Amino acid sequence: MNEIIATILSATFVAAVIRTTTPILFASLGGLLSDLVGSLNVALEGIMLIGALTAVIVSAHAPWYIGVLAGLAAGGLLGAVMALFHLRFKADIILVGFAINIIAAGGTVTVLTYATGGDKGTSINIPSKAVPALDLSFLGNIPAIGPFLREVLSGHSYLTWLAAFMVYAIWYFLYRTPEGLRFRAVGEYPPAAEAAGIAPNRLRTYGLIASGCLAGLGGAQLAMFSFVGFTRDMTAGRGFIALGAVLLGRRHPIGTMIAAVLFGFFEALSIALPGILKWMPGELIHTIPFVVTVLALMLSSRRKVTA
Amino acid sequence: MTPFLQAIGIDKTYPGGVHANQGIDLSVARSTVHAVVGENGAGKSTLMKILFGVEQPNAGEIRLEGNPIVLPSPRAAIAAGIGMVFQHFSLVPSFTVAENVVLGGEPRAGLKLDRKKASDTVRELAERFRLPVDVDVPVEQLPVGQQQRVEILKALYRDARLLILDEPTAVLAPQEVVELFAAVRSLTSQGRTILFIAHKLPEVLEISDTISVMRGGKMVGTVAAKDATEKSLARMMVGRDVALKINRAAPGIPHTHLCRISDLTVKNDHGLNAVSDVNLILRTGEIVGIAGVEGNGQSELFDAIGGLRPIASGSVELGKTDITHISVLERRAAGMANIPEDRIATGSAGGATVAENIVATELTDTRFVRHGLLDLKSIRAHAVKLIEKFSVRVQGPESAIGTLSGGNMQKVVVARELSSEPSLLLVSHPTRGVDLGATEFIWQNIAKARDAGAAVLLTSADLSEILALADRMIVLYRGRIVAAFVNSEEVTPEVLGSYMLGFAEQSAEERNAALA
Repeated sequence: MNEIIATILSATFVAAVIRTTTPILFASLGGLLSDLVGSLNVALEGIMLIGALTAVIVSAHAPWYIGVLAGLAAGGLLGAVMALFHLRFKADIILVGFAINIIAAGGTVTVLTYATGGDKGTSINIPSKAVPALDLSFLGNIPAIGPFLREVLSGHSYLTWLAAFMVYAIWYFLYRTPEGLRFRAVGEYPPAAEAAGIAPNRLRTYGLIASGCLAGLGGAQLAMFSFVGFTRDMTAGRGFIALGAVLLGRRHPIGTMIAAVLFGFFEALSIALPGILKWMPGELIHTIPFVVTVLALMLSSRRKVTA
Repeated sequence: MTPFLQAIGIDKTYPGGVHANQGIDLSVARSTVHAVVGENGAGKSTLMKILFGVEQPNAGEIRLEGNPIVLPSPRAAIAAGIGMVFQHFSLVPSFTVAENVVLGGEPRAGLKLDRKKASDTVRELAERFRLPVDVDVPVEQLPVGQQQRVEILKALYRDARLLILDEPTAVLAPQEVVELFAAVRSLTSQGRTILFIAHKLPEVLEISDTISVMRGGKMVGTVAAKDATEKSLARMMVGRDVALKINRAAPGIPHTHLCRISDLTVKNDHGLNAVSDVNLILRTGEIVGIAGVEGNGQSELFDAIGGLRPIASGSVELGKTDITHISVLERRAAGMANIPEDRIATGSAGGATVAENIVATELTDTRFVRHGLLDLKSIRAHAVKLIEKFSVRVQGPESAIGTLSGGNMQKVVVARELSSEPSLLLVSHPTRGVDLGATEFIWQNIAKARDAGAAVLLTSADLSEILALADRMIVLYRGRIVAAFVNSEEVTPEVLGSYMLGFAEQSAEERNAALA
């Protein structure tokens, strides 16, 4: 037990939490934007997966940032497709979302096979690139807390810092700009927005595209940083956990971030624990993030009922 | 002088074949209050929707200050200076008053929403037109009367010169009506014009300058308010004399205790006490009316007695049966019937036929169900009998109930509930959105049930309904009984209103005296 606590309190572990949180945070913020305009994007998982593969393949032939942009664009495109089917053709958003999730699960393997010339599992023989890490080792010069800060903050992906900035940017957008006000109005009570001359479906389209872009970025981070390359089903439910983070975060950017960090923490824990608890089967440990998601959602919905 | 707004020969037939407006002429003078009255289905709403650009007329012309205009959408109407406040508000609950008002036309400072300017502008508007409201409070925390002010402010923010108010008093307590009328007068004195759709004739007479009456899709006539009386208007609306007078329960008949409600506490959807420690005895052959501003626990009280909401503590006894925790079906078997507040959501199944709706509460009755199978012939015969008895206007028992007008749908619900000859009858808002003719009919039938010995518990947003029907009255404020009266001439809407708004509270002795 002491060993576990010592691990959790170590700077290395905090840095690991930041790393595991980044992709979930991107996807969660995407989910938040779609939820706030009233069409919760349940395809985050599939979009992340497609974003990851796109980023890997493009980055093999172009600079890393073009790879990231390609992941983002693929996500945005999928968001637009969802908007088309859901808003124009009036298909149920859940069904559209699951169609994309299913297409992503199978489609990425097919495309991977073509891209690698036969490998159905990983992109190991594609020379894909990584997102560079931001070196903040000068922080170590600060007396006392310097070394700890350096351990925690230095060496993270550029995208991690972008994700943190997005929390602020989305909060500013939603709560400080007129467009954000309209966004929230559409999500909370569409007739009021309509009466005010706002077209709800246009904002829903923007919301879905933005959520796709963010999920695509999450996918790019997943395949271009700590592990470079694509493996089949590498998102492993992170897109669904992100949905949980949106609901748990009470539809607020800060709340969503806290929820994403919570899930990132348990993911990092499930990575660190097998080294410590050698007697426990690894599979059981890896279920921790999902069990926590279910528990957190149960507790939060219970509070809503009694609140 | 050219009228501010003129509608000439407006004609509208809906795709379903309903000829809702037939050659309507309407002329509204500037800076006046012009009321349009009529029964449900008279075509008032259709006319207003045409004037606000929601519906398009098949023929006719609209002129604003003498110039012909076309209104293809509400947005065009707003741009032309026409605003409308619907009965159902469109406000975002968590937004502040100022945010709701400026939504869609926000003042900005660079990228940012200029909150200060928004608040200041709205506050100025509110003061100028005597619509006092705290602009920085979320609208969900405001009472209905103030939410209505926010809707009016929204129209004024968009510079509406003509304001259409769709039954604005239906949701208000008497004191709130006084305040609304003060605002309306201040609007007309500042050059705005009000078109006022209404049901309640005393109010119409009080506030209007001119009154137009519609019946059956046609304009029956337009009179100056000072030349009209309640009676003359009612005759124009219905086409015959209407007697909205119900005899009280005859004196001298013994009223035995039938239903005892003891220390009843009920929680609302948020887990808070909606009804707290209510004690009440209902007696046979008597109507008890519950007055209160909407949201003060009436709905929860009725749901709890009706079995649609769990009772947190306390008990309800019907006769010798404790019905506190039994199911709806068991309650009905014990002699309860329920005319619920929402005839569409809880009172009927919209897609099912009239006959199916009528038999829905009788599925244990061997007259209609034998060996687990429906006896369609006797169900049909029963439905035909009730349709005739309650003069429901419907093509036949096989019509889907959702296709009926509000008044006829309500008659079906009333027919079904009364046909079981209940000993306890719960009645919520029995004539909300129901026209005068059907109202008269429904009232008479409730009184008939009372005379047959039923104990009736009635609530209505329309105080005149409670005053017309109830033998005794209680006022609910924040879930508690704050006053009780025996119905008499002295009890007026104003008296009830001060208790409904929480300005006054009776002592326990006064209450008990009226309830004894």
